[in-house]
Amino acid sequence: MRRFSKFLVAISMCGSSLLAAAQCPSRPSSGTVVQDALSLYSQNGTLNADFTMGYSVDTFGYSHYCYKYQSTDGIVEAPTLRLKQGDTLLLNVKDDIKTTGADSMGGMDMTPTGAVCGDSGTATVQSTNVHFHGLNVPPICHQDDVLTTLIQPGSPGFQYKMQIPANEPPGLYWYHPHVHGFTEFQVNGGAAGALVVEGMEKFRPEVTGLTERVFVVRQQYLVPWVPGPYQLTLNFQVAAAPGAPSPIIDMKPGEKQFWRVANATLQDFTPLQFWVNGVAQPIQLIALDGYPLAAPRTLNTVLVPPAGRAEFIVQAPAVGASAQFVSLNYSTGPTGNQDFEQVLANVELTGSAAASAAPVKPAQPAKQASSESLMFAGLKDLPATTTRKSYFSEEFGGTNGPIQFYITVDGQKQKVFEANEKPVITTKVGAVEDWIIENRALETHAFHIHQIHFLMEEVDGKPVPNPDLRDTIEIPYWSGSGPYHSVKVRMDFRDPTIAGTFVFHCHILLHEDLGMMHKILVEP
Amino acid sequence: MRMLVVFWLQRLAALTAGLCVLSGFAMGGSQPSYLITNDDAAFVSGITFYTIGTTGLLKLKKEVSTSAAGIAGGYFPTNRVVVLDNSSEQCVYASNAAIGNIVGIDINTLVVGGSAGGSSTDSGSANGIGLAVNGNYLYASFTSSNTIGTFQVQSGCSLTFLSDISVAGLQGGFIDAMVVTGNTMVVTYGDGSIESFNVASGAPVSNGDEQNSTGYVVSQGSSYPTAVEITKDGHFAIFGDTSTSTLVEVSDMSSGKLAKTTVFSLGHGINSSNILLSPDETLLYISNTQGDSITAATFNATTGTLAAGCTSGRLKGYSVSWSYLADLALATNSGTGGTIYVAEYGAPSSIGMVQVSSSGGQCTLQEVSGSPVSDPNSNGLLSIAPFPPRTF
Repeated sequence: MRRFSKFLVAISMCGSSLLAAAQCPSRPSSGTVVQDALSLYSQNGTLNADFTMGYSVDTFGYSHYCYKYQSTDGIVEAPTLRLKQGDTLLLNVKDDIKTTGADSMGGMDMTPTGAVCGDSGTATVQSTNVHFHGLNVPPICHQDDVLTTLIQPGSPGFQYKMQIPANEPPGLYWYHPHVHGFTEFQVNGGAAGALVVEGMEKFRPEVTGLTERVFVVRQQYLVPWVPGPYQLTLNFQVAAAPGAPSPIIDMKPGEKQFWRVANATLQDFTPLQFWVNGVAQPIQLIALDGYPLAAPRTLNTVLVPPAGRAEFIVQAPAVGASAQFVSLNYSTGPTGNQDFEQVLANVELTGSAAASAAPVKPAQPAKQASSESLMFAGLKDLPATTTRKSYFSEEFGGTNGPIQFYITVDGQKQKVFEANEKPVITTKVGAVEDWIIENRALETHAFHIHQIHFLMEEVDGKPVPNPDLRDTIEIPYWSGSGPYHSVKVRMDFRDPTIAGTFVFHCHILLHEDLGMMHKILVEP
Repeated sequence: MRMLVVFWLQRLAALTAGLCVLSGFAMGGSQPSYLITNDDAAFVSGITFYTIGTTGLLKLKKEVSTSAAGIAGGYFPTNRVVVLDNSSEQCVYASNAAIGNIVGIDINTLVVGGSAGGSSTDSGSANGIGLAVNGNYLYASFTSSNTIGTFQVQSGCSLTFLSDISVAGLQGGFIDAMVVTGNTMVVTYGDGSIESFNVASGAPVSNGDEQNSTGYVVSQGSSYPTAVEITKDGHFAIFGDTSTSTLVEVSDMSSGKLAKTTVFSLGHGINSSNILLSPDETLLYISNTQGDSITAATFNATTGTLAAGCTSGRLKGYSVSWSYLADLALATNSGTGGTIYVAEYGAPSSIGMVQVSSSGGQCTLQEVSGSPVSDPNSNGLLSIAPFPPRTF
């Protein structure tokens, strides 16, 4: 509880004093054609890129945190990283967040002691690091470690070096900062980008030959910790602002496109639809959370929780019809937010801008690969070595807080995450575990675990019709009476490379920052 | 998180709060019985009087403007309205957290008698100003400045500020709930710690018993006392915990100091941020603050022990019209109180009415027909009080 008070005090001090010169690239104007981010490709098995984290405040007062990349055409923001299975990613990250008065953020006690990866010092809103969300890579220094890695302003920088596993599922992943206590600030400011492991056409040939689009949905609050009106943006273009036109997605009449959509919002659950003349159209779902589905699935709505990804095929209507890309209303419960319906984009049936907006070449026909070659294959047929239960819970001290956000292993004491805590779960490489995760809070939560995907087994005690592999899943709110909503998922700790300590948490980023997170240790 | 949104929206919506006037009702003779709300509206707030009918039903009588501003929210157990009923005065006092004053209203005339503020540094602008009264003095807990102000009760329901003291929880917490019975004051700090004071001389003097509650220690900080009650004889202090289950703690005060608390686990309602003893002290009523129901636990006033009793069904309007249950009041000052009133935090807010039945150690709680009653003057109702008040 006091943590939250301190948090508010500190951020209010910060919010009043963070005025910085423009460091981030300007973002696109409303009502223009949505452009895909610049794609950076691996070459000869390696993708080497330099990012600089910057910060600025726009003319409306919105803070921008940005991954800047120096391209041949100037500085661009949050490029899409494209790698193949087995490739090596060398990502050099420098922290150039220049905020004034941010020294007042000291003393937040978010800094782990002991082993330090990268820079030492206190974690502040100026500190950063990178989490590669969904990638099944080691939780160790210079790879996907968020517990000990800090990159501080003014330091020479930090290099991430990791190999994409040879059996990594092809699909859409994303990267974002993950400094505990400050993740929401930086993601709210836009610090998020897409990462594509290429080769989807080998597993889902339906995408072959289609124009591919990568859409990153971000969310921007004027002040992230003060709930109020917010903006969703589509590739940094504001999707719904009063009086402002919607973004435009350019398609040819009747054209099928392959859309890869990342929900990089702070907390918005996005039930996505593709409308023609106001009616939801069938979309062909190809992958979820970067994992190709066993078979394409036709549906009208795909719910993508915060941090989730959906990849699907849409078909533009014939000339004369209108089409829109929409996120529907979603209630997150009595103490949750109402996620409002928003038109993310209007579809313009000209096709004139498609080439420049979507510079990625359509996938060529490829030799088909078996899904049995992918990580986590066959998981549903393995016996579980352990079953665990965890639950989300919340308590409010008043209408304005303080609020405690917990995720608790059943039988243990409820507590918020502490940087120096011991792991609440210890397991061993080779374990296959069934986890039941309940939501005892009056607000929907989004469960996420680092390093691995998990297999969906049951929802509310009933087997799911589609046992998909996910890395983030929504668990609806408790209504105040009756049984808690729950999911049962199968965790696969067989891969020895993921040995180490990493975290699981709610991916509503305020909740994560306030401690709805804990550590798990996978012993070698 | 939604409640933070609601809070801000309600502060805006409170601009539109209006006045309502209806007729009064007398129960048990010529003296009317009222349920009184601190509407806690932003900008221009007021106190709304509802007459209590013979069956416990409420009828809106009048809102008396305080010409002051509230904040439409804050800590749940911070008691923003209290009633004084002694031989010479019948007054209701209400705090206005936005401007930091306390207004007194004569219950017989429903006219404002006066107002007073604390010192220049006293403030409850973030989470409210709690009130307690013991006949001669009124105490105000300022939740932002972490101070307790002492006011002399004056004729005509006016007040004179005397002094204030600074307080703090053991972990630096801010004062949350405060209650006074006779010369004893007990407070909670919202950080796990509790403390009692002697108010025999007016200003509170610590009894030197500040301590972390057992529930706080055992839960490693995830449960902590918020609400507080004192038994009629001052033997026990009872604490309702902020917790993800229904936890209540009891401390023996017979030594004059708070003893180590005993924890009673009474169910799985979220939070017990408002509690109220029945007049006969056989039942403890508990608002399941983040939930949809009221719980009654059986209480043994001799041993200070609690046991699970009964729980109402889901109160009407939950999560649609209102989001939190807060303060409790009773229709009568005898037996189990007849009808429980509970503040329902919404925009507009409402007052739920739950009938209590108790026999042979068994109880039932049933929301009555006609419940809830809208409080059109409040977009953030947390505190209510009955007149005449309970005698302890």
